[in-house]
Amino acid sequence: MRAQLSSIRADGSRLPIHPLEVKGRWVTRRRLTFALLIAIYVAAPLVKIGGHPAVHLDVAARRFYLLGGTFNAQDFWMVLLLATGFLFSVLFVTAWRGRLWCGWGCPQTVFLEAVYRPIERLFDGPASRRLKQHETPWALGRVARTAGKFATYAVVSAGLAHVATSLFVSAHELRGMISDGPHAHPEAFAWTTAFTALLFFNFGWFREQFCVVLCPYGRLQSVLHDRRSITVAYDAARGEPRGKVAKGNGDCVDCKKCVQACPTAIDIRDGLQMECLACAQCIDACDDVMAKVGRQKGLIRYTSQAELAGQPRRVFRPRLLLYAALATAAATTLTVSLVGRTPFEANVLRLRGVPFVIDGDRVRNQLEVHLVNKRSDAAELKLSVRGPDGLEVQLARDAVALGSLEDARVPLVVSLPKGQVHGKLLLELVVTDTGSGLERRAPIPFIAP
Amino acid sequence: MSDNKVHAVFDGIEEEDNHLPNWWLATLFLAMVFAFGYWFLYHSTVWLDTPAREYAKEAEAQKKRLALQNPMSDESLAALANDPRAVEEGKKTFTTICVACHKADGSGSVGPNLTDRYWLHGNKPTDLYGAVMTGFQDKGMPPWGPQLGEKRTREVVAFVLSIRNSEVPGGKAPQGDLKE
Repeated sequence: MRAQLSSIRADGSRLPIHPLEVKGRWVTRRRLTFALLIAIYVAAPLVKIGGHPAVHLDVAARRFYLLGGTFNAQDFWMVLLLATGFLFSVLFVTAWRGRLWCGWGCPQTVFLEAVYRPIERLFDGPASRRLKQHETPWALGRVARTAGKFATYAVVSAGLAHVATSLFVSAHELRGMISDGPHAHPEAFAWTTAFTALLFFNFGWFREQFCVVLCPYGRLQSVLHDRRSITVAYDAARGEPRGKVAKGNGDCVDCKKCVQACPTAIDIRDGLQMECLACAQCIDACDDVMAKVGRQKGLIRYTSQAELAGQPRRVFRPRLLLYAALATAAATTLTVSLVGRTPFEANVLRLRGVPFVIDGDRVRNQLEVHLVNKRSDAAELKLSVRGPDGLEVQLARDAVALGSLEDARVPLVVSLPKGQVHGKLLLELVVTDTGSGLERRAPIPFIAP
Repeated sequence: MSDNKVHAVFDGIEEEDNHLPNWWLATLFLAMVFAFGYWFLYHSTVWLDTPAREYAKEAEAQKKRLALQNPMSDESLAALANDPRAVEEGKKTFTTICVACHKADGSGSVGPNLTDRYWLHGNKPTDLYGAVMTGFQDKGMPPWGPQLGEKRTREVVAFVLSIRNSEVPGGKAPQGDLKE
């Protein structure tokens, strides 16, 4: 059994990892997934839904446009539902199908395998040549190739960083900022530059070290998996003893293609390890060899420890049902909260000072209506107050025009004849959205001696 | 180091002593260098300020700025009433907030008429400023300072100064003392 991190040599130095380029059904499916995910990332700030970008997280103004919905800071509590729903979904998927996230969805994998490694291959050739290049002297050719490679990394990193910035300032705004120049927008420039540098360092050099040393998710796999979790696994019963194609030997011909194809340089034949990103590249590498030597594919495959031990596949088990129930509960609550959102908020607050004023033969209450337009476009809200006979109402404004996510405070003075009310009475504020005709009522607590 | 010797066994888990990744060690050493530089620059020289020193400096600067910035006086507020922009801004605030009690033209309803020559709490510009800022809570005038802030309060006062003594017809009956 290995007693050392696979990507670190005994003296602590980095082992250069250049995974063998393999072809196969999983690699193809992964490429399509990567293309789709990158397309979503780039489209998020560019595609407009309902007049706003699909994703525009205006943190500075605390206005958040998400897939046509408009949210303000008061809606932040919904992030709890979003986060718990996401967390339990991740737990569910991990317990059911292993670390699919690492191999198929994590930006670290997506950008490394779909963007940066292809660039490296373009300049330095296939993995075998790249591995050999580490031993060659720094001749002009190697220097030029390396310079070209890192320059391309830098350009691509800057592009990806600009997409990230535009998620926060919108693509349109970013275009304006770029034409104004860095001196006009030092903060946005600093963020974009820092993110460019981070991407460049991470994908140009740090790579799998993030997964095997920094990321906590992989380290949780021992508690998230059970014997029935479907992971990338080597069928030792079929494969051992490894060796040449000969009688008495197992199916594994010990070609080490699975090790060469691994982006974290582990040997999957040692069993499931913390470094395994479940990328399935070893599956395709092995299937290719099995086909060549005329043996059945699937010596390394998506399977579970229980199945490898001869037990039947069983999906439903208490922990999966629990994770699924919790994820569904969070998703349902979120959906209900999203559907139940009103296009505007109207709250009645009491103005500072005494709760009521006695003015001659009348009792007066002084309040304030706080209105927030939560639609993605402008709205006009009409205000009126209902109450018993003798009620006098003075509203600072009875119609308020508000832009998207703008708010207004409207002072409201109500009075009733002295003696008509003792203690507390609820009046009613009616707010009408003139555009949609939608009406909302809010109670106005009237206080009298 | 990294001798593949087992150094400790607990619960069947064997602990060896592998070399740490060199890049990881580099972050440790860089942190040490940074800590030394930080200590030297912030705590041993005057080139960079610790948070406490920075706070003291900023508080001092703020104090100076406030002292210089348009000292509140009858004269400065009266001068502001001649600044059409300030009056215009003040009017905006007046017609969205004060209007509830004083009417858009200031002729008064629940609150007193601001366009006549009679005043309950004085008619000096600083009296008006104090009235808006801190209110007369027992009479029903709330303190608007916290919501409006200093600038918008000054502008509202400028607007009120621009309409006072204009005797809007049909205004609320005079309250308080005659002031000229």
